[in-house]
Amino acid sequence: MANRRAIVKRRKAVRNIKKITRTMQLIATARFQAALNRAVATRPYTDKLAELVADLSGVAEDFAHPLLESRETVKRSSLIILTSNRGLCGGYNANVLRTAVKHLREQKAAGIETDVHMVGKKGVSAFRFQQRPTVESITDIEDKPRFQQVEPIGQNLIERFLSGEVDAVHVAYMRFFSAGRQIPEVFQLLPLTQPATEGSGSTSYEIKPSAEKLLNEILPATVRMRLFQSFNDAAVSEQIARMAAMKAATEAAQDMIGNLTREYNRARQTQITLELLDIVGGANALN
Amino acid sequence: MAETNFGTVTQVIGSTLDAQFPEEKLPAIYNALKVPVSRTVLGETFTETLWCEVAQHLGGGQIRAVSLGSTDGLARGTRIEDTGSAVTVPVGEETLGRVFNMVGEPIDDRGPVEVAQRNPIHRAAPRLADLSAKTELFETGIKVIDLLCPLVRGGKAGLFGGAGVGKTVIIQELIARLARFHSGYSCFAGVGERTREGNDLWLEMQEAKIGDTGKSVIDQTVMVFGQMNEPPGARLRVALSALTMAEHFRDQTGADTLLFVDNIFRFSQAGSEVSALLGRMPSAVGYQPTLGTEMGELQERITSTKEGAVTSIQAIYVPADDYTDPAPATAFTHLDSTVNLERGIAEKGIYPAVDPLASSSRIVAPEFLGERHYSVARQVQQILQRYKDLQDIIAILGVDELSESDKIIVNRARRIERFLSQAFFVAEQFTGFSGVYVSREDTIRSFEELCEGKWDHLPEAAFMYVGTIEDAAKRAEELK
Repeated sequence: MANRRAIVKRRKAVRNIKKITRTMQLIATARFQAALNRAVATRPYTDKLAELVADLSGVAEDFAHPLLESRETVKRSSLIILTSNRGLCGGYNANVLRTAVKHLREQKAAGIETDVHMVGKKGVSAFRFQQRPTVESITDIEDKPRFQQVEPIGQNLIERFLSGEVDAVHVAYMRFFSAGRQIPEVFQLLPLTQPATEGSGSTSYEIKPSAEKLLNEILPATVRMRLFQSFNDAAVSEQIARMAAMKAATEAAQDMIGNLTREYNRARQTQITLELLDIVGGANALN
Repeated sequence: MAETNFGTVTQVIGSTLDAQFPEEKLPAIYNALKVPVSRTVLGETFTETLWCEVAQHLGGGQIRAVSLGSTDGLARGTRIEDTGSAVTVPVGEETLGRVFNMVGEPIDDRGPVEVAQRNPIHRAAPRLADLSAKTELFETGIKVIDLLCPLVRGGKAGLFGGAGVGKTVIIQELIARLARFHSGYSCFAGVGERTREGNDLWLEMQEAKIGDTGKSVIDQTVMVFGQMNEPPGARLRVALSALTMAEHFRDQTGADTLLFVDNIFRFSQAGSEVSALLGRMPSAVGYQPTLGTEMGELQERITSTKEGAVTSIQAIYVPADDYTDPAPATAFTHLDSTVNLERGIAEKGIYPAVDPLASSSRIVAPEFLGERHYSVARQVQQILQRYKDLQDIIAILGVDELSESDKIIVNRARRIERFLSQAFFVAEQFTGFSGVYVSREDTIRSFEELCEGKWDHLPEAAFMYVGTIEDAAKRAEELK
């Protein structure tokens, strides 16, 4: 208890940390708004596209496209993992990576080799530490993913799929449902799963040029769009995770400051009492 | 002494008293004085002998003495006798198996003790040239102690701890472990602690058997008690009485002797109680100005000589958990091995609550323990130190923000922390686990593997109160 100065020093350090975490919480809140707007803005387009695909494939019923075709034997697959470039966002990266690693294990158990495409510095360093191989590391996508950045990644995956290099492509990311709910998940990007919205297929359109031609154009666009959507989802989820983590950190720091202050006051009182006792005792003894 | 020297009591202040002696026959400092006191309890009057010890010469034939018993019933003007020597206590093999008070009277209701020799309790410390220079580890079978703060055979060990962190339990455990496999004699000094604990220990020693000789531990042990209920004078000197008996075993029989003291802080405390009554000016935190000297005089006598070894284990109470308090701080410097008990660890339910970072031993060095033991001990401390450094970050930001390598260290540290717990023989009825003895070799190997990360996969709970690392693996199986 005699280490009064040490307590003061520690309290100062915790105060500084609290200032930082508080600021980061505010920044994350602002960024969350921006990211949310972007993610919501692309939604109608993605949805409409899915509808269109459903309509078209309703018209051209016996149409088979290589992007839709699931292969009988899957030997090799790709997994693209979306993590953040920055830390201080609580369990965000850990959760995504845990889900991704679980998926990798399942693939391995099924005898499928998986190429990992890692997005985000945190994921890259985590996999390097765990000594898991990655075929590609993408760390230049900031918290505002642009379509031009995502497109080449999607194009690359499509080409690899079409060339038969891989038989499936999955994406592991933090899916954004609402500000209170984000769930890490792995979904299959390729081959494209048949759109379930079969209902709208009843309306028959007259299509020009042919449905096949249109699908050839639209299917790859759907893939790219889906990928872009997951990037946007990940960006929102990251900001939410950071907001929550920084809020918790600020509160924890506040608690700690409270405890340290109490400890300090007690140490101070003890010391004063002891000194008084010494002085009074000494003075009395001299009388 | 040809004729008995008498004086008169002139003043009684609490547990000190003044007496007037003829100026030419002044009793020497530390001489024992005898005075009869008559007390009336419930209408029944009986006379007792009160022992006192000369502490100061006040001039003009006046002396000031510390009473070694209660001064109730003592009256001014009573005749007081100078015995001509310091307080003496019986020594020798006849004392084994018995329980004494501070002035050497048996208090176990088993009749008087006939001894050939009585030694004065005040003596000079052994000469520098007579000290033994051996340094050898004293295995206890308690993992945390053997690994991080090993006891020294013929050395002194201190168990520091605040109220209720388990000092007495550890001392009793050490008695159970060491005395049971010990071939020499043991002395136990109960200084200002609970009488009940002394009684428990006495009964336990009667039951406990030494190895497979069929003899009870008590048959090789002398116990001396000056517990809480005794006046400060008795608590101040009781450690010396026990020490005198231990010294005799050391010097005369050459046997390895164990000396247990519970609790050396009470010795300082008693000194401070007496000090003010003797008219000394209080020093820092109200302790006696002679704190260092008193402690030094006692501690310097507890030592191993060429004749034989005295290994002493002392419990030291730390008031208000403040290690800078003068009393524990003074005792600290005399010890070869310090075992610090920490409240925070006791609160986690980890017993013995030894603080692995604050505890240390003089012999934690490669030349005494060997390279392997030393490096394992240091590795364990490094991991725990890192964990401690990270504690603030974890408290504020959470475990997830740590780097991958730090996360591993934290996980390992939490396992090590739990693995440092151990079931005690004397605490079986409290913990429900039967005591385990872990050999030093097993301890080192277990911690070595733990540091290497070989056991990171076991759940944390599997490490609580197990012996070797294989036991932890077994426990993990059971937990599944």
